[in-house]
Amino acid sequence: MAIRATYPPSAMHEAAEVCLKCGVCCNVAHSCHVMYDKKFNPKYTFVYDCLSSDKGASNPNIWMCVSCHKCEETCPYEVSPVHFIEALKGVALGVGVVHPTIRAEVAQVVATGFAFPLSGATERQRQALNLKPLPTKPLGELGKIADKTGLAARLREGQP
Amino acid sequence: MKYTLFLGCFIPVRLPHIEAVARGVLPQLGIELADVDGFTCCPEPVGFLTDRMTGLAMAARNICLAEEAGLDIITLCNGCTYTLKQANETLKADAALRARVNDVLSETGHEFKGTVDVLHFAQVLSRRVGLDGIKAVVKKPLTGLRVACHPGCHILSPPAVLGFDDPLDPVVLDGMVSALGADPVDWDKKTGCCGWTLTNYGEREAANRLLGAKLDAMHAAGADCSTVICPQCFYQFDTGQMLAARELKLEYKVPTIYYLQLLALAMGRSLDESGIRQHRVKDPALEERLGRLVA
Ligand code: SF4
Ligand code: SF4
Repeated sequence: MAIRATYPPSAMHEAAEVCLKCGVCCNVAHSCHVMYDKKFNPKYTFVYDCLSSDKGASNPNIWMCVSCHKCEETCPYEVSPVHFIEALKGVALGVGVVHPTIRAEVAQVVATGFAFPLSGATERQRQALNLKPLPTKPLGELGKIADKTGLAARLREGQP
Repeated sequence: MKYTLFLGCFIPVRLPHIEAVARGVLPQLGIELADVDGFTCCPEPVGFLTDRMTGLAMAARNICLAEEAGLDIITLCNGCTYTLKQANETLKADAALRARVNDVLSETGHEFKGTVDVLHFAQVLSRRVGLDGIKAVVKKPLTGLRVACHPGCHILSPPAVLGFDDPLDPVVLDGMVSALGADPVDWDKKTGCCGWTLTNYGEREAANRLLGAKLDAMHAAGADCSTVICPQCFYQFDTGQMLAARELKLEYKVPTIYYLQLLALAMGRSLDESGIRQHRVKDPALEERLGRLVA
């Protein structure tokens, strides 16, 4: 199966060159949801400010992309803006521009294994439904993974 | 058919009534659910783009637990399916990447081998159980119930990996709704994003406008309710609709019902047993009608 993955940094430049800035990816019905924000439209936010700029990773609007792949399905030139934006998000942690919600969520997953904090209310609800309690012990294995990849260190550096 | 049940975070933490329904109804369709200790967040697909190797290794670790149990994975969430399937297929196809990920995993004692599949429950129901298998458990057909199906972005795209339906013209969920005796409606904006991620990481106002456009389209098509197969979409259409109602000046309600809840109703479960009464968007007329259908 041929799988297209997020562009490695080396392929980003090439993708940006192939893009005609034609805007087809942004103008098809049901395309990018960013059109619902009055301040942005996908053509400016993503095509011009990301695919045509060398400062894309520090553009806060990349965090508005939800990886729905609509642009990938509509681009006639197989540029796949989604993979370009995903690659920019990868660069972003390195240069310190990450949406604060994301940084907190990533840290929370590494520490607890869950993306959301567990509360007493959750446990009471689960009990009432006869569901098993959720594990509350921190999971050492995720910490080992984050140590090995360097994510743990990057998260520490980014903390005030 | 036996699977490891991968719950992810959203359902067990925020929507446990959906977990309860899944555990209640799936075995009655011949889907045996095994619990495996140690599953974590899939991890969440948007956040872990900031560190692809960590994201891949965490997903691979979850898949390893299923491999060690010798069972395929069944999920209840589009996001989990998207993360795990992409990791699974990418690592099966790319030996060099697999070696790097296994190096990262080495200290955890797991090794990704590529021996299992990841399936969303809607894939298991539509393909392995089949529409006739669904029809066979229906005791109370949901006759006349008009349902707007919202499959959600991350079960549709990228189609080469997810392999669920045509992302530009999805029909599989509609078929599953028809199998319950209900009427899927044709509605505009069916393939648009629910906006949950936009609420969380982007702009709430934009997410509300998007939600309003989708609800308007469902209402215009005469839908009594919508149905979803993803907890994020569910949360957006339920809690999100309740929170946005005033800002959007909504003059109607389109309650949402998770597909497994519709299935539970059609199998003869009460509204209480199906968890419908736990929802934020309440429509007494719809509840009364559903009550009559399952009586
Ligand atoms: S990504 Fe594709 S569709 Fe979008 S502007 Fe570039 S070439 Fe056109
Ligand atoms: S993947 Fe991102 S950029 Fe592409 S259409 Fe979806 S939200 Fe827009």
